[in-house]
Amino acid sequence: MKATLDVINQMQVDGVIGKYAIGGAVGATFYLEPSATLDIDIFVSLENSPGSPLLTLSPIYDYLTLRGYQAEKEYLVIEGWPVQFLPPSDDLDREALQQAVETEVEGTRTWVIAAEYLVAIGLRTARPKDYTRILQFVESGVLDADKLGSILQRHGLLAKWEQFGVKFLGGNP
Amino acid sequence: MHKVLESKRAMRQRLQALSFSEKVKLLEKLRDRSLAIAESPLRRRQHVKG
Repeated sequence: MKATLDVINQMQVDGVIGKYAIGGAVGATFYLEPSATLDIDIFVSLENSPGSPLLTLSPIYDYLTLRGYQAEKEYLVIEGWPVQFLPPSDDLDREALQQAVETEVEGTRTWVIAAEYLVAIGLRTARPKDYTRILQFVESGVLDADKLGSILQRHGLLAKWEQFGVKFLGGNP
Repeated sequence: MHKVLESKRAMRQRLQALSFSEKVKLLEKLRDRSLAIAESPLRRRQHVKG
């Protein structure tokens, strides 16, 4: 994965992407015990194409395929790891990206989405595996309750959090 | 049963406390294992049987 992150960092240096941060299961592993995953989710800020109001992943695909990396479905396989690049879909994503935590993997600098934002994004996405991960976060004790509450309130997720608590935490999130 | 649960909890805490680099190495091993299982002829045969 270090080699994968080296390539992504180079993309940043070359101006193909802006700020980025690891999310999903790999991001969660920064805080929790490792759990099996086959891909890496990268939240990434992109510039609009000149004259277009739309964000496009084309520069990323062009940059990587030119260097011999293959696209497979929604992934680009970089140094053995399928990577999904996720431009922010809403203010929650944008804020999560801005508040990402800097770390390193074997000497390579990188960024990870903060734990409370991973929980909020998981709550919004609401797949069974997201709920499992949220429970792991709750049990691990790594969450800052005030920070999480503030994020959930700002992004209209408090009702979902209460429903989650009723369903999985005996009404006590 | 209590000892088993305590042991599991302690193991999870040990894993949680590892550095990100060490965790990433474990992730890579888990991923290799998942891929090996997915490609196993035994699993494919079971999958066909449904």
